[in-house]
Amino acid sequence: MLVLLWGLEADSPLAEVRGQLELLGVPTTFVDQRRLLETEVEIVIGETVAGCIRMGGESINLAEVSAAYVRPYESVRLPEIAAAGPESAAWQHAIHFDDILASWSELTSALVVNRFSASAVNGSKPYQLERIRSLGWSVPETLITTDADEAKAFWKDHGEVVYKSVSGTRSRVSRLRAEHTERFSDLSSCPTQFQQYIYGVDYRVHVVDDKVFACVVCCSADDYRYPANETPEIRGCSLTPDLEEKCRKLAAAMNLPLAGIDLRCTPQDEWFCFEVNPSPAFTYYQQMTGQPIGQAVALLLANAAPESCSMTGSALTSDLYLAKD
Amino acid sequence: MLMILATRQDETAAWLANRWQPHGAVVVSAADLSMSGWSLDLCSPAKSSACIGGRKVTNQNIDGVLTRMPCVHEQELNHIVPLDRQYVASEMTAFLLAWLSSLACPVLNRPTPDSLGGPGWRREGWVHLANRLGIPVAAVRRNAANRKNDAEDQTTCEVIVVGDQCFGEAAPPLIENARMLAKAAGTGLLTVHFSGAAADSVFVSASPWPNLASPMIADAVLRCLHGRSAC
Repeated sequence: MLVLLWGLEADSPLAEVRGQLELLGVPTTFVDQRRLLETEVEIVIGETVAGCIRMGGESINLAEVSAAYVRPYESVRLPEIAAAGPESAAWQHAIHFDDILASWSELTSALVVNRFSASAVNGSKPYQLERIRSLGWSVPETLITTDADEAKAFWKDHGEVVYKSVSGTRSRVSRLRAEHTERFSDLSSCPTQFQQYIYGVDYRVHVVDDKVFACVVCCSADDYRYPANETPEIRGCSLTPDLEEKCRKLAAAMNLPLAGIDLRCTPQDEWFCFEVNPSPAFTYYQQMTGQPIGQAVALLLANAAPESCSMTGSALTSDLYLAKD
Repeated sequence: MLMILATRQDETAAWLANRWQPHGAVVVSAADLSMSGWSLDLCSPAKSSACIGGRKVTNQNIDGVLTRMPCVHEQELNHIVPLDRQYVASEMTAFLLAWLSSLACPVLNRPTPDSLGGPGWRREGWVHLANRLGIPVAAVRRNAANRKNDAEDQTTCEVIVVGDQCFGEAAPPLIENARMLAKAAGTGLLTVHFSGAAADSVFVSASPWPNLASPMIADAVLRCLHGRSAC
């Protein structure tokens, strides 16, 4: 058994899981992006998935890896690589290293938290939302348009509307207000996402395989991640067994052993799902609630044997690859 | 009406649009996404629309879509201020993934979260899938030091899959393997490379971007887009 961690030492969720694995005494190897230029990777894909990583004097046989927690940042944005520039050997090494290790993480039979193919769904919010809806969740009415008249009609229909990015690019969710109408002529430049505003209380639910950690977020801002002068109050809470199970099924259907699910409960007790984050910064919520999310991730990784977890099969067993009869 | 989603520089797309003119084929590029008329209503997809050839077309009036670009590249967005191009390219790509996925008409290839034109897999992903299907494969070795793509050196035979049709001079088992691979990958369009044309040749690589600049293949694609051939 060997657990591979890939990312930056300072990344809070990665550091937390690494610490928990050390406490558990689990053999762990850390592929530190800061040491990228002294790290080599090779994979061979054919009848088997094989490969190795060499860091300094250490050599890791990728066939021995039973689980991986991957949270890499784009290596070319690291100061040393960015300064070297796209034509440099360092830049080229970084691009190929990232691509090769990402490729291995897609094909290995080890448990990967989370595979990039599963995370990619989050790159299009409406695409992901449609999947969420198809899995039985209520989702807000959503319109993406380049047509100012359609946007105005949608706003009129729903009274309160928010706008936010369509892609995975982080954006602040903002309420549409009268002063925005003068910018409606810009809508034709780029499809823009509008969403029915749902009144209610926010919940963040972390699913770690079969474990569910829920917390309630009390904040008056449209987007509690940007609370202005207010500090959001985040408290651990329980969900009904049915709702917990629904969250588990949502994460499983999306091939995400670890997921951060954003929910809102209306005064009428209707639960809406907005998004499933495939790479949640769970430590923020853990610090506020004391919930042992990092420990649960570490246990998930520690207990994984290839092909043993419900979601550990390689990407080739995912719905992306299944034959369509 | 047929939509060919392609870059402005795509000569094959222009050739296909000309050939399919009687079927109302129009090339739509990234710049067209900066026109009023596009919409995707998640809860009522029937209300969704596109801007094709400068006019608004509801999704029900689109008979088929051929996608020839994996994403919107910022280089296609000269009409957007440079500072915003990367963001707009991401937004347009994300929109197209959802919009194309919402269409009920034939779409070649159906988009996936990592490519608008079907599976965005690396060569090793295709090799892995082929191996799982029992197709003999040539192993792929990759390391950061050796960046040469040796697939071209190993390939001497190409089979193009268009829906349920296959094109290429290859032994029947290879044709069947190509068809099986396309089906498993869920792609209507696929180029499959083998080490040779003989029955004992091995799989080398595949790509969801076949060369369509041939009348015979273009006609097969047209049949798929019109739903007259499985795809």
